[in-house]
Amino acid sequence: MDPILLQGFNAEAAKFIGAGLAIGLGVVGPGIGIGILGAGAMAAIGRNPEAAGQVQTNMILAIAFAEALGIYALIVSVILLFVV
Amino acid sequence: MPSGALAKKLLMVSGLGLVVLLLVGAAVGAIGSAILPVDSFLSKPEIHLPPQPIFPASIRNQQLGLTAEDGHDGESADKEKDGENSSSEEEEAHIAPLPITQFAVTNTLLSAWLATVVIVLFFVLGARKGSLIPGRFQGLVEILVEGALSSCAGVVGSEMARKAYPIIATMFFFVLFNAWLSLLPFYQFFGYVQDGEMKAHILRSAGTDLNMPLALALISFAFVEYWGFRSNGYGYLKKFFALGQLLRLKPAGFIDAFVGFLELISELVRVVSFTFRLFGNMTAGEILVIMVTFLVPFVATQFVFGLELLVGLIQAIIFAGLTLVFLSVAVRHDSH
Repeated sequence: MDPILLQGFNAEAAKFIGAGLAIGLGVVGPGIGIGILGAGAMAAIGRNPEAAGQVQTNMILAIAFAEALGIYALIVSVILLFVV
Repeated sequence: MPSGALAKKLLMVSGLGLVVLLLVGAAVGAIGSAILPVDSFLSKPEIHLPPQPIFPASIRNQQLGLTAEDGHDGESADKEKDGENSSSEEEEAHIAPLPITQFAVTNTLLSAWLATVVIVLFFVLGARKGSLIPGRFQGLVEILVEGALSSCAGVVGSEMARKAYPIIATMFFFVLFNAWLSLLPFYQFFGYVQDGEMKAHILRSAGTDLNMPLALALISFAFVEYWGFRSNGYGYLKKFFALGQLLRLKPAGFIDAFVGFLELISELVRVVSFTFRLFGNMTAGEILVIMVTFLVPFVATQFVFGLELLVGLIQAIIFAGLTLVFLSVAVRHDSH
């Protein structure tokens, strides 16, 4: 590799790249998961509108599990940015 | 209340004012100053994850690099400079959390106490009169209390709901009040300032301190396990150490033992998950508010505040609701 490029790549730059990658890649999975959950809940409400309240409660609880994974990624990137 | 044409005029003027403020904010904020030739209105915010100690004063001064406030106006210039040097040195040190041997009241702890006082006042004032025909305030408190009870009963059944209700509802209202109180505009008004820089706020949302979510998660864990043992006896342990088949030397016992092991792991991981979910949401909210204020000052933050209201409510529902769901799984008598 070009030595000048290597010289510019210091720990500070690695920190920012790492933080960006952590949150950027980390929210892909939870995003897909929450999308699937939302779609399932919408379909369920469409079929059975009377059960909307119960479906919503369960959907929020299920989304919490998917969301927790995204939060892990967020914490890793926040720690990279502000603590390390 | 003004009415008719005057009200319309007032509405238009205030709407126009908001739009102007938004545009001015976009111009003088960090985004605008990067594009337009104007100076940035705010300096770049510093974010400290660990909470800052407030009392006692000696620990506060040492941790935050504050110089003691014992009237050193008449000191010589070089001594002043000396103090500045040492404070900038200690600024590196105050990134680290307090050592475990030192006890100090942090701003997040103060804020949690404030939330507790507000909750107690809210419900005591609401229930004080106890009149048969409730007024507005009493009606609100009654709706909250009964709504929480009936949604508990929807998950674990009405008999168990009465037993679980005190802790579940406390968790719900504690998380909710902590999240919403910190959205009040004057919440972060007071603090310790040095060299024109706010070193520590006296109040800071308790959810942004890892200790509060951890404590709540441990309480929730202990609560669920207590009811698991109480309703199933020591047979509750059979769920995690399913060795019965294995001891009878059946090959299928390995699968049972492994499933039990997985149950045990997921039971323990729950604490971590609870902790980081609440901590991450609250911290992300604070950082989002700070960053939007830095990028586009004045009005644009209001939308984030709306989002944060929703996030606080959902986190409270999730914390209490998940505890309730785990409780209903733990107290279920299943036959394996």
